[in-house]
Amino acid sequence: MNLLRSANVLLLVGILGFTACNNKPVPAGTDNADKPAQVPQVAANPNGLIDQSPMDIIYYPIEYPKLKMSGETSAPPAMRVMYSRPQKKGRDIFGNLQKYGQPWRLGANEATEIEFFKNVTIQGKPVSAGRYVIYCIPEPKEWNIVLNSHLFSWGLHFDSTKDIQHFKIPVESTKGPVEYFTMTFLDRDKGASLVMAWDTVMAKLPIEF
Amino acid sequence: MIRKSILFALCSFGFLCLNAQTANVPETDKSPMDMCYYPDNYPVLKIQNKTKDALMARAIYSRPQRNGRKVFGELLEYGKLWRLGANEATEVEFYKDTRINGKKVPKGRYTLYAIPYENQWTVIVNKDTDTWGAFKYDSKKDVVRMDVPVKKLTEAVEFFSMSFEKTTTGCQMNIAWDDVMVSLPISM
Repeated sequence: MNLLRSANVLLLVGILGFTACNNKPVPAGTDNADKPAQVPQVAANPNGLIDQSPMDIIYYPIEYPKLKMSGETSAPPAMRVMYSRPQKKGRDIFGNLQKYGQPWRLGANEATEIEFFKNVTIQGKPVSAGRYVIYCIPEPKEWNIVLNSHLFSWGLHFDSTKDIQHFKIPVESTKGPVEYFTMTFLDRDKGASLVMAWDTVMAKLPIEF
Repeated sequence: MIRKSILFALCSFGFLCLNAQTANVPETDKSPMDMCYYPDNYPVLKIQNKTKDALMARAIYSRPQRNGRKVFGELLEYGKLWRLGANEATEVEFYKDTRINGKKVPKGRYTLYAIPYENQWTVIVNKDTDTWGAFKYDSKKDVVRMDVPVKKLTEAVEFFSMSFEKTTTGCQMNIAWDDVMVSLPISM
């Protein structure tokens, strides 16, 4: 995930990205009595196909698995997020594709998941170590970020009876449109901010630990 | 298609330039990450109230592409440890105690590796999680190893794939890429 790459590599990445997202790869085939075993075609993971909105994982410290691999850290990670990355594709996202005041899964596909490996504090409220669904109710000037206990669910339905905490955070403008919905962590005093950016806006959830 | 690809490449280029300005906005990975569950498709079943079962297993892995290469025996040498995916080490989590190769594997998160050979693979369940690739693999942290036979596929699988399938004693993890598939039996 280096930021500095040559234009050629960038073009290649772009083309590969396009290929990965839009081309139908060689089909894995169907079961047939006179053929050897085939990969079972199952709804959730039809082998050979990949998701339109690829999944990604972020750790804090950033790039924790690489730091661990290279021996630069032996401490456990503080937290991680698993989310899928829809693309803008020329659309206006907030207030249009994603209506204001409606829950948004902060991604695509599965509900986005955040795991704290230690107890943390967010806006003065304690949050116990553990795993949570994280979603958002966007408004033009602020986002309501929700931690919820209804884990391992698909992101189209949130059971608000399982909400644990709500946090209101201000919305900021990005310098230009962000094509892929992006989450990352930024260092801050006593912890890190979870940065969420897409289209022309971004918001930061401050997490202390 | 070519025109679209170039357009997309230019968009990506613009986006990545933007990254440089806004900093710390990660680009998308070349080998995208994916998840699979047992019971299969669990999150969708859950929101549709179509399952009474608890989630038993989930694997998180990245999906490299064959891209016209012969994978096993060439790109991946036989007898050499492989991270079973790309990027971050491949993770499996069991939400209840399981048995693999007759050995108890308590519920929890594990890293998976494999050593592919022509006719069988050694699949390794290791307890050192949250790492990258197979570069720091430590066999002292193995929980269990199991040799599983290779099944040849008639049609190549382009993207490295993992999925769970029900069996009479629990489930099996089907691992497929190129013209090869192996199944790791998991008793529950």
